[in-house]
Amino acid sequence: MNIFKAKKILLDIVTHGILISVALTCVFPVFWMISSSLKTQEEVFSSMSLIPQTGIATWISNYRTAFVEANFGVYFMNSVFYTVVGVFFIIFIASLASYGFSRLQFWGKSFFFYLLISTLLIPIPGVFVPLYLLLKKLSLLDTRTGLLLCYISNGLAFGIFLLKGFFDELPKEIEEAALIDGCSRFGIYWRIALPLAKPALATLVIMNSLTIWNEFLLALVVLQDKAKMPIQRGLMVFQGTFITDYPLLMAGLTIATIPIVIVYLLMQKHIVKGIAAGALKG
Amino acid sequence: MFKLKTLVLAQITLAFAVCLFTGCETKEPKPKADIVIWHWMTDRQAAFERLADQYFKETGVRVVFETYAPTDVYKNKISAAATAALLPDIFNPMGDRREIASYINAGFIADLTEDMNRDGWKDIFFEKALAQNTFEPGNEWNVKPGIYAVPLDVNSLMIYYNKDLFTQAGLDPENPPATWPEFIEAGKKLRAANIQPFVSGFGEGWLIGAFAQSYQWNLFGRQGVLDTIQGKIPYTDPRWVRIFELFSEMRDNKLFASGIVTMVNKDAERTFATGRAAMAFNGSWGVNVYQSMNPNLNYGVMMPPSLPEAKYPLLLFGGEGSSLFVNANSPNRQKASDFLRWMTQRGPQAQLAKETLNIPSNREVAEDLPPILRIFSENIKNTFEQLPVIETWQVINFININLQSVIIGERTPEQAAKEVQGEKERQMKVAK
Repeated sequence: MNIFKAKKILLDIVTHGILISVALTCVFPVFWMISSSLKTQEEVFSSMSLIPQTGIATWISNYRTAFVEANFGVYFMNSVFYTVVGVFFIIFIASLASYGFSRLQFWGKSFFFYLLISTLLIPIPGVFVPLYLLLKKLSLLDTRTGLLLCYISNGLAFGIFLLKGFFDELPKEIEEAALIDGCSRFGIYWRIALPLAKPALATLVIMNSLTIWNEFLLALVVLQDKAKMPIQRGLMVFQGTFITDYPLLMAGLTIATIPIVIVYLLMQKHIVKGIAAGALKG
Repeated sequence: MFKLKTLVLAQITLAFAVCLFTGCETKEPKPKADIVIWHWMTDRQAAFERLADQYFKETGVRVVFETYAPTDVYKNKISAAATAALLPDIFNPMGDRREIASYINAGFIADLTEDMNRDGWKDIFFEKALAQNTFEPGNEWNVKPGIYAVPLDVNSLMIYYNKDLFTQAGLDPENPPATWPEFIEAGKKLRAANIQPFVSGFGEGWLIGAFAQSYQWNLFGRQGVLDTIQGKIPYTDPRWVRIFELFSEMRDNKLFASGIVTMVNKDAERTFATGRAAMAFNGSWGVNVYQSMNPNLNYGVMMPPSLPEAKYPLLLFGGEGSSLFVNANSPNRQKASDFLRWMTQRGPQAQLAKETLNIPSNREVAEDLPPILRIFSENIKNTFEQLPVIETWQVINFININLQSVIIGERTPEQAAKEVQGEKERQMKVAK
């Protein structure tokens, strides 16, 4: 073996070593969550091992109790509803608005764009009181519509910011060719700009799905009726003021994580495609 | 392209269906509640619901408990609801006395003095618990004197010690250290036996502050504490320097568990429950926590050791645990007050204590508690006295941060005392 080959092997070992340690650090919390969901409360505190000593009866019991006690059936459907509808409207409105900001000329364009973007700087807890008052005035407190409107408005600023950047990068020549061929402005948005923006849309879908699925501060403030609460409300049952029931909490978290992991896996290839397409375009 | 179109069309159809669903959303009929209670005590919801059922059977009045946690969210919800005049019949603003006073002065909280005086209701409670819900004449927030909340449970903070680890280190588990020098000596013996002597969630400012305040009462007494808050005694007073020195002494004798300055109480509780530290400064709720973490833990509780040079009794952080307030504008105000009266009677309180392992606010029930909890309840009388004024949160924050600085050796006790005094002077200027 020559010195260059030896150097390459050594470099590969070091690189892979670093990558494996980083990957392990990232997935360790997930392993811990799953492992703890299969243990008893005592075992969580007394055993550091990731392999549970309990039998399958405890595993089933933990998951069944978590599902039943936390009323996950209702909360799960609510979360699916909020996420699907919320994400759809965020994408729909943000793509239209960002295309307008990118391609149309109108008075106050920059002002309105930066005004919209500046809302990204406002933290959610800072608007609880005005939001509560506004929803009360609109008679939307404790309604699904009220909560959905909050989620949608919360996701719009970033969506518009991201998509406008993407539309700005698209070559205008393609759209001009379509215009010459008689395509309307909306037709261009619908048939050309939107399909080309698929990678950015996929990113938005994942980000907003994650945000809405995991959100519960707004839900707790806006809603009162338990039947309308999202899945994160179910997890609260296991977190007492002083005691947290870790096995049940972790079982609940595992259940709550599955759908969002599926969404991520489905959308992941679009992101990878998007990055590759961006690289070629550049 | 076909796939995208299909996807988009499917989504539009779904969205329309959903719009129809939400647009036509009618207000679902709420459970017919006579009294609505918003609280944050997730671990007590089941017990509360059982009590509400019992109350309904006895009186026909339906009570609904609604949980909102964590406390930050609960607090936000309460302040938003107060602004919108949508507070429930019973709630808790979850603030210090200054914040509670602002709610009272704004007319959100009912004065319960008359109700409390009727049929000796107020006599069933631990005095300290009631005192913390009482505003005395001449209070600094100009609140009309009276009782404004009903305590549900009480607590106090003491030192738990692991009897097995004490024995292992050659200490007598039935005679824990009672004075500061004995405490330091015990710590040295534990360290020599390779056992971490002392743990607490000192990463949470309030716990380190609570430990220090016990010694403030020990060295200054009521008038001294009051004079310090009012700026008549500076924080550079030798007694305050001594309080900071206690922490450097513990550090120098290796009493602290590793990482104590950044440790949250949940971690400290786990450290003690798993036998990795011999003593833990924690609240009475620890009994419930340790039971859930390690039911076989063999432990006792002791008072924080008092200082030999102190002229005053050492008092404990604690008193009222959780209290509930009645909405002054509620149409069900009297019903709400009557329910709280029922809830604090012997039967419901005993049930709550049994299910949640908290010390009930009703003194008579406290007599039936398990031994460790009884020690805590007997020491409720030794908790800090209620004062007509309180220290500003900025100064309290400075004390806590400087105590942590002393532990890590960043500041000497003298420097820490000087820092706190500097902040005190700043705050006094601001107040003027």
